[in-house]
Amino acid sequence: MKHLNGHRFAEMVKMGSHHLSDNADYVDSLNVFPVPDGDTGTNMNLSMTSGAKETERVAEDHIGKTAQALAKGLLMGARGNSGVILSQLFRGFSKEIEQEEELTAKTFAGAFQAGVDTAYKAVMKPVEGTILTVAKDAARKAVETAEADEDLIRVMEALTDEARASLKRTPDLLPVLKEVGVVDSGGQGLVFVYEGFLAAMKGEKLPERSAEVSMDDLISAEHHKSVQAFMDTSDIEFGYCTEFMVRFEKDKTENHPFDEQKFREDLSGYGDSLLVISDDELAKVHIHSEEPGDVLTYGQRYGSLINIKIENMRQQHTAIVGEGHRAERPAKTGETHPYAVITVSMGPGIAELFKSIGASAVIEGGQTMNPSTEDIVEAIRRVGAERALILPNNKNIIMAAEQAAEMAGIEAAVVPTKTVPQGLAAILAFNPEATVEENANAMTSAFSHVRTGQVTTAVRDTTIDGVAIQKDDFMAIAEGKIVKSGASLDEVTRSLLDGLIDGDSEIVTILYGTGATAEEAERLASHIEASHPEVEVEIHDGKQPLYPYILSVE
Amino acid sequence: MSIGLENEFGKIEISNDVIAQAAGGAAVECYGIVGMASRHQIRDGLTDILRKENFTKGVIVRNVGDDLHIDMYVIVGYGTKITEVAYQVQSKVKYTLSRLLGMAVGSVNIFVQGVRVTNL
Repeated sequence: MKHLNGHRFAEMVKMGSHHLSDNADYVDSLNVFPVPDGDTGTNMNLSMTSGAKETERVAEDHIGKTAQALAKGLLMGARGNSGVILSQLFRGFSKEIEQEEELTAKTFAGAFQAGVDTAYKAVMKPVEGTILTVAKDAARKAVETAEADEDLIRVMEALTDEARASLKRTPDLLPVLKEVGVVDSGGQGLVFVYEGFLAAMKGEKLPERSAEVSMDDLISAEHHKSVQAFMDTSDIEFGYCTEFMVRFEKDKTENHPFDEQKFREDLSGYGDSLLVISDDELAKVHIHSEEPGDVLTYGQRYGSLINIKIENMRQQHTAIVGEGHRAERPAKTGETHPYAVITVSMGPGIAELFKSIGASAVIEGGQTMNPSTEDIVEAIRRVGAERALILPNNKNIIMAAEQAAEMAGIEAAVVPTKTVPQGLAAILAFNPEATVEENANAMTSAFSHVRTGQVTTAVRDTTIDGVAIQKDDFMAIAEGKIVKSGASLDEVTRSLLDGLIDGDSEIVTILYGTGATAEEAERLASHIEASHPEVEVEIHDGKQPLYPYILSVE
Repeated sequence: MSIGLENEFGKIEISNDVIAQAAGGAAVECYGIVGMASRHQIRDGLTDILRKENFTKGVIVRNVGDDLHIDMYVIVGYGTKITEVAYQVQSKVKYTLSRLLGMAVGSVNIFVQGVRVTNL
């Protein structure tokens, strides 16, 4: 063939579109890049069909106009990444031959090359090993062939062969393809289009399913899909990957004549991920089934079984996902509490104190390091309880705690404690038998008669609440108000205590942290016992940073 | 701003810059995208195509509550079906972030700031 006219080109497009459409499912199954959503074939098919439809409307025998119609149809119908690329390829193709009525081998090859050039211009970072690579390699081969050969069919043949060869190389260029063990889906789609073109030029008919389709590709694509689908080993419904071939035997097929359609339907009852490929002598079968024995027995009706391979997918899956699940395990294996009591505090000593009196989880946090809503939700989730109570122990965390209570997905309430001593008092009022609401109320009233004193150091010179403070002085805070400051920790703390304790006070708790020692705390205790003989004093090592003393008076 | 995760071994913090880089990297690999554009077109020069080290200027990562929202300012190649290209970017970015960072994205918003026409 020396010249290609518009009508013949329209036929080529039609054939290419048909061939792609016949194999769209297969192309879908190969789709692992860029997003493994298994729609490349469908998208390319829709794009190409739209292109082919447009070419049918061109009555004139003018290849430039036919190609333009194709490009327009492709652009309007472009779906998916590969659809867009396909439309760009043929936009460049049509632009190159706009004025031509007929094509020679050289202009034909040149048009493919122009298409590739255009397609590459519309991407910043072309990913090789995709439809782009296949188109590029094929076009280059066509240009080379056309230099020495005027026959259009031989050019198309060279182009198609090179496209197939390039497709086979795609796994070497794109790692994800190699990993899964498939060729690129978009590239495969383009090969189908080119195969259709070639067949139309030769006036041949194409087999419904391409002979190039290899069972191995299909199997790895199927497996890739199921790996994506199952997050948990226990979700696997059909546990055995079963592969075998049936070599048909005459005496058996006389009773059961082999019909691929029926064979497929019967087998689909045994499981999923079914693949069957057959010819006159053999049928290759791949299926995921829970009863591989039954599948084999069924296969034997038609002949003898060869190359049998059965694998336990649950075992494989456990091995694959085992690593990934380790991080989540503590949440799953932890005993479930009916109640989660979540508190926020700073200092490992206070955390232990909270745990010893019933907190199920203590989140590190406090003054300058507030935990987020998510931290709190996560803590609740880890406990795995049905109901939750949250004690923020800081007025800046109450908001986050309230949000967390809403988002926890279980019944939850916040006990709005503003200080650690309030939290301690509240937690002592906790009753695991009561409802969330009853607990929240009881705990809130329990901490309401706790008075809190805190001693910390000033970070700069300032005057707050009428008290002049110098940097590095100790400040005494009673119920959130600064009452005293000075250079001596002992003196400041004593005056704070004297202010907090009144005639009704019964228990004083001292939590000493960084900056104070056990002896100093003891001395404070004896001071209190001397001046207020009616109160009891408890001392705990809170190990909290920033606050040498946290005091509570009840 | 950053995204924080916590597990038994400690904390993992992923800054918004990293998320922007990952999203930008995914977007420029998409067919039809010829570049990222700055969201401050006037200040940074009209429809300047950002160079690779400046991707993040064209990607805004917002944390709204616990959700992650991503705004991307892109430039597409002339002759592509723009809506489809934008859709592909959304799906690719969503997929890439869930794979690389294991986080779900609330929304990916695409702002097509320019079309690059090349002489043919």
